[in-house]
Amino acid sequence: MAQAGIRSTEQYNYDIVRKFTIMALVWGLLGMTAGVYIASELAWPFLNFDIPEITFGRLRPVHTTLVIFGFGGSALFATSYYVVQRTCQTRLYSDWMATFTFWGWQAAVALGALSYMFGYTQGREYAEFEWPIDLLIAVTWVVYFLLYVQTLRRRSQPHIYVANWFYVAFILATAILHIFNNLAVPVGLFSLKSYSLFSGVQDAMTQWWYGHNAVGFFLTAAFLGMMYYFVPKQAGRPVYSYRLSIVHFWALSFLYMWVGGHHLHWTALPDWTSTLAATFSIMLLLPSWGGMINGIMTLSGAWDKLRTDPIMLFLITSLSFYGMSTFEGPLMSLKSVNALSHYTDWTVGHVHSGALGWVAMVSFGSFYHLIPRLYDTRIYSTRLIYVHFWLATIGILLYITSMWVAGIFQGLMLRSFDDYGNLAYTFVETVAFLHQPYAVRAVGGMFFVAGVVVMAWNVIKTVRRASSEAAELEARIAAKMAGA
Amino acid sequence: MSETKAKTQGQVVQTTGHAWDGDLQEFNNPLPTWWLWAFYATVVFAVVYWIFYPAWPVGGTFTKGVMNTITFTDSDGSQKTTHWNTRSLLLKELQEGKHAARSREYTEKVAGASYQEILADPEMMEFTRSMAKGVFGDNCAACHGAGGTGVVGLFPNLADDAWLWGGSVEEIETTLREGRYGFMPAFKSALTDRQLDDVASYVLSLSGEAVDADAATRGEKIFQTSEGGCYYCHTSSGTGLKSQGAANLTDQIWTVADVSGAATPEDRKAAVKRVISNGVDRRMPAWSERLSDAQIKLLTVYVHELGGGQ
Repeated sequence: MAQAGIRSTEQYNYDIVRKFTIMALVWGLLGMTAGVYIASELAWPFLNFDIPEITFGRLRPVHTTLVIFGFGGSALFATSYYVVQRTCQTRLYSDWMATFTFWGWQAAVALGALSYMFGYTQGREYAEFEWPIDLLIAVTWVVYFLLYVQTLRRRSQPHIYVANWFYVAFILATAILHIFNNLAVPVGLFSLKSYSLFSGVQDAMTQWWYGHNAVGFFLTAAFLGMMYYFVPKQAGRPVYSYRLSIVHFWALSFLYMWVGGHHLHWTALPDWTSTLAATFSIMLLLPSWGGMINGIMTLSGAWDKLRTDPIMLFLITSLSFYGMSTFEGPLMSLKSVNALSHYTDWTVGHVHSGALGWVAMVSFGSFYHLIPRLYDTRIYSTRLIYVHFWLATIGILLYITSMWVAGIFQGLMLRSFDDYGNLAYTFVETVAFLHQPYAVRAVGGMFFVAGVVVMAWNVIKTVRRASSEAAELEARIAAKMAGA
Repeated sequence: MSETKAKTQGQVVQTTGHAWDGDLQEFNNPLPTWWLWAFYATVVFAVVYWIFYPAWPVGGTFTKGVMNTITFTDSDGSQKTTHWNTRSLLLKELQEGKHAARSREYTEKVAGASYQEILADPEMMEFTRSMAKGVFGDNCAACHGAGGTGVVGLFPNLADDAWLWGGSVEEIETTLREGRYGFMPAFKSALTDRQLDDVASYVLSLSGEAVDADAATRGEKIFQTSEGGCYYCHTSSGTGLKSQGAANLTDQIWTVADVSGAATPEDRKAAVKRVISNGVDRRMPAWSERLSDAQIKLLTVYVHELGGGQ
């Protein structure tokens, strides 16, 4: 329904979407490569080379920051700006605000990663940024929120499309989480060191209230927003159930906020807090699955598309992994299961079935839909999308299965007794056991990164083709003008 | 706004009538029945859980849950009965769990026995190996290695039959309880480079290494007189004073200088010379504060057995 005569590449601010999309791929490639490197360090420790900046402890937050905030964050900025414009049929409220969010966000990610390598960290998982970067993020995020809401208010549609609810919930919740978890007192105006305003178990609880909702709103709700636009769009079919989308949206938003305590089972956290976290995690299962059902059932009646459309393959596979990891999560949140799984690599495998299987796969699928439209061309190679899909899928399967083996067996070793009632294994024996699963995991990561390299190549060729097509068109018009 | 109808699951379903971005629409399907009932089931699960376990904060306290009391013996020996909580659960498990009870029964038996009795009793030795392996692995293996073979130059090998501080059970226990401070002064400023070479040659000759005879003779003079004073600790025969933790230089076991890892005679001499030049300064911490008497006893027997004992 775009106005006749104006190309959507001009009607909407696509420039900002392009920038964020490209940066998502750049950060993705860097962050996932860092992931493969630290996975290799665990399997073959000599790779630490006794260089402090590249040891596992420092590179690990570099990896998580680059993939969650660099790749995931940029992908969310890109798609949310695209979706809000397309579904509201209006241009972004302000171009300079959009540009500001771009530079603010890229600077935060880059500065964060560098500061960790040089040893500056708050030591809070997924919130390692020290206070000056936290302030930069806060300002960027407020501008993002204002820009998004103002754009929604300018919509030329009576209703707000479901994808936008999820994006708004994500933006709002992330602002609250970020600000409260990072309340800290800097040691000095020119010091990067700061101390949290909370202490003891309250500090831990605040951190995991943040940590799990970073998963809930950043890596789940927001990517569901992405799913709600790109799945029906790519399938060319209506969303399965409007009612389900409303119910699971509110249930998800309400329930997620309660569950962070399940990261602190069997610690100084009061037992009642643990109980609430576990039970709310269980109640979260079906609301999480609501998104999966709505996505997969959208394809109902058009299953044949899975045979012919690799983008659909990415999207539906991502929903399957989403369903699997949101089943695994509540399971692991039960105290008895957690007693085995906690502090083992099962947790790491669980996170990656969500991060690689859901977050990355749904982003890849959406990008393959998005990029040709951003550049007004066709994708360079559909075959390479298939190649990427299989590399990614094999990589994820190797990753998850090796971490199940690592986590479950280490958990069992740590709790097995011999005939005299003594612990059967020393800790270091369990570490020695981990070597093989760690090696398999590193190989899985290599497959996944290889897939991203294939994608990057495909995207570069697509963008090149777009510019040569544009040049050709211009030349033809010029020739015609000269002839006339 | 289009009022499209489409077939889903064999029935005709209407869309909500909204449309975005051209073709984005929503069907008006009801909630899947199985989904709704499964959701209710999880809510029921949660409510039942809340009834039986500590769950909701109320004012300054919280709901304790019903039919979940735990009785255990507190550290002061008194019997305590409390609502279910993870800390009491752990204490109860440590007191009454079958593994803990079995391990405690043996630990008490070993604690009451003398070293001679333990060493002579196959069952107590089996238990010692079983328990001390864990204590060793979690406390000692970080330096001495999982098998106790140590690292040449840094941490003594406990699995050979050379004992710097003595290999009787009493001596090993003292080592564990009080720790050890192995010290040899650095000679690089007291002796010339040539003299250091000579002493190294002499030291190697003590264990039968082929060396330059003249150099060894010159080295012997330094070693055996107050010029080097080596014999104070290593004794005139080179077998070393146990009270100083001084190494026996006459066996072919090298705990500080990496002679075994050196390929050529020159490298062997260089390895010994490095130690004489730089001295030795290594400490083992005292464990009496960190391990219980029973654990130290078990470890003593375990370490004694590792190296064949004395």
